[in-house]
Amino acid sequence: MSRVVPILKDPVVVAALIAVLLIAIGGILRPGFASPDQIVDMLRVASFLGIIAIGQTIVVLSGGEGIDLSVGTVATLGAILASRTMAGDDAMIVPGVLLALGVAALIGLANGLGIVALKIPPFVMTLGMLGVVGGLILVVTGGRADGRAAPALVSLVNGRDVLGLPGILIVWLVLGGAVTLVLRRTVFGARLYAIGTSREAARLSGVPVRRVTVSAYVLSSLFAALGGIAMVGYSQQVFLNLADDLTLPSIAAVVIGGTLVAGGVGGYLGSAVGAIVLTVLTSLLTTLAMPEWARIVVQGVVLIALLAVYGRQRRLRA
Amino acid sequence: MTVTSPLVRLSGVHKRYGGVQALRDASLTAAGGEVHGLLGPNGSGKSTLGKVLAGSVRPDAAEIVLAGESVRIGSPRAAARLGVAAVYQQLSLVPDLSVGQNLVLGSEPGRLGFLSDRAAARRVAPVLERLTPALGDVRFDDAVRDLAPGQQQLVEIGKALLREPRVLILDEATASLHRDQVALVFDIVRELREGGAAILFVSHRLDEITELCDRATILRSGVTVAETSVPDTTPDEIVRLMVGDVQQVEREHRDAAGGPVRLRVRGLAGGALHGVDLDARGGEIVGLGGLQGQGQSELLLALFGAIAAAGDVEVDGEPVRLASPRSAARRGIALVPGDRGTQGTLPARPIQENLAIASIAGRARVGVLSTRREREAAQSMVDALAIKIGSLADPISSLSGGNAQKVVFGKWLLTEPSVVLLDDPTKGVDVGAKAEIYRIVRGLAEQGATVVINSSEDRELVTVCDRVLVLFEGAVRATLVGDEITEERLVQAALRIGEGTQGAATGEDAA
Repeated sequence: MSRVVPILKDPVVVAALIAVLLIAIGGILRPGFASPDQIVDMLRVASFLGIIAIGQTIVVLSGGEGIDLSVGTVATLGAILASRTMAGDDAMIVPGVLLALGVAALIGLANGLGIVALKIPPFVMTLGMLGVVGGLILVVTGGRADGRAAPALVSLVNGRDVLGLPGILIVWLVLGGAVTLVLRRTVFGARLYAIGTSREAARLSGVPVRRVTVSAYVLSSLFAALGGIAMVGYSQQVFLNLADDLTLPSIAAVVIGGTLVAGGVGGYLGSAVGAIVLTVLTSLLTTLAMPEWARIVVQGVVLIALLAVYGRQRRLRA
Repeated sequence: MTVTSPLVRLSGVHKRYGGVQALRDASLTAAGGEVHGLLGPNGSGKSTLGKVLAGSVRPDAAEIVLAGESVRIGSPRAAARLGVAAVYQQLSLVPDLSVGQNLVLGSEPGRLGFLSDRAAARRVAPVLERLTPALGDVRFDDAVRDLAPGQQQLVEIGKALLREPRVLILDEATASLHRDQVALVFDIVRELREGGAAILFVSHRLDEITELCDRATILRSGVTVAETSVPDTTPDEIVRLMVGDVQQVEREHRDAAGGPVRLRVRGLAGGALHGVDLDARGGEIVGLGGLQGQGQSELLLALFGAIAAAGDVEVDGEPVRLASPRSAARRGIALVPGDRGTQGTLPARPIQENLAIASIAGRARVGVLSTRREREAAQSMVDALAIKIGSLADPISSLSGGNAQKVVFGKWLLTEPSVVLLDDPTKGVDVGAKAEIYRIVRGLAEQGATVVINSSEDRELVTVCDRVLVLFEGAVRATLVGDEITEERLVQAALRIGEGTQGAATGEDAA
């Protein structure tokens, strides 16, 4: 008992158990829901959210009420820029991705500078940026989304080319592993946790607080754009609001994964599991043919319930 | 002033903050119609004793008798109901509210929960009028934010007067006032005395004490050591009572460090600082003494680039840009800040990260850390400083005050600093850890570092310092060297400097 209980208090373990439980329930209610094919499919959908949640995790860890409300529209803009550049041509994948990442980096830079130089609270700054990027999308597209994903990108997401799995899952795994290493094994990671825990103590330890903060928001926009590009590989056609709805789930995934909203404690593994929980929950509720309003209510209730459980325990996880 | 039945009697007051016993069986008796001074060196517990009576500090044990009745005072509100009001140097005003709203805050007149500005204006009019000679043209509707610090302090005093207190506690309430403002406050205090109130007057300024007080209670290390009639006692005797029989503090007698000047400061000014000059050699431990709050912490923070200041600072002959803690740290300056919880440590993070954070970039290769090097670096400090920990992975918040402070020292020792700034480094640590921290400080000096240390305890300065600079209102006003450094000399220097210079550098223009 004494050895089991501490593990059960780890939010990552709790979230993972919930994911497994949801799949099991789905399998009982609707045979086929828990089939390997169906699970791979759900993971594939979870990967877009999971990649966007990488940046959101970094921003939340940076503390100072860190949050990025612009990730959804930045992902959409990234998808639009990339897919218009590709226009269905494999040769244009690299320029398309680079263009999307470049623009995203500028957006993240603007977010970061607004927060550290103009002292605008992250919530307000990124909310404003959400509007600005929405406007940019209209300017770029003239209100007409006509980008098409290149075939190679489509098969990366929709094919089963790598050991029978979609390549995007491997991409997600690599990105997730890389960010985990960055958080745990680099100067940047140590400084990110430091500023998230106490900006004042970090500053008085010689940490370049402003530079680390700006970097966090740049990374957030970069991963948002990558998530958007993956998503357009899935849908093949781009839409004007393709990834807009992923902002709140990306925050929810971070929170479900046990990262402290105040910053400084947590990690990406939890957020990845959180993304899976949210995706499985949505699939399950859809499979059960629940009306949309009921799905939204259930998702909200699950989030609040988890936070209530986590709120009772404030342990350190590095 | 014959004391028939005392209006206020506190006895057996105990209060412990963590490892520090702030009050140990302290007592105080004051009669109605008396101005009663509360005296003691830094950290003697006089403010804490006042706050016990004002209900803002909950004592571990205390007996409080007010007008013959035994009472319990659990909150400032309870104190207000009993007719006890307090004014501190730290203001309790709401800057965005008006003068009038602040005056009635907590006792707003009105009906059925609706406020009545007219009733409030009627109520505060006499108090505002009484303060007018010193307050100037301040109206009911003026925002407190727009007032000068001295005027705000007077509004704070007005707020206490409005409650028509039987017992008024003035805790350093005159520190930010001009001479004529102080005179008015003294007039008001004397009127209250005529009206039969008891006034408890806490001040560092000996001349104010001798001018105003009838009797005084003297505290030392949380214990009441004397009660004395002020007119019958000379200032020298008061200082002697505060310091006590001079106990021989163990001093490390060392040859004066003869090396070259490592830290050179010229005309450092800004905020609370008004032109500080300082030369310190390698291996030298320089103390910052004086009354608390005379710019000691600000001096250390300014040298570390953590608060805005202008002036010339050189380390080993190289100029230091006072731009940020980062640029200071690069020049080999380290700071152990005054508030361990919010400034010194990353509470939720592991001990290893807390030890590593200041020196982490130097151990990394292209930004990547070696798990082994990180662990070894942290472990080397745990061993060298004898930090008692469970595991390097435990959060630093699991450590005692002394061990957490050693981690803060270790964090900077890993950067091999040439100038070490210490802001009250043994605050809230127990006696054993204190001795170990002194050993660390001496070790730093022996290895050639320059140490500048601020302390709220004079005894600490006597114990570790080669030289003490006594600060007053943001400037160095006296220097004690070697055997001159005694507790008595420190207290005398701190108190005497203040005489006659009151209000010189504060007041309206400071807004």
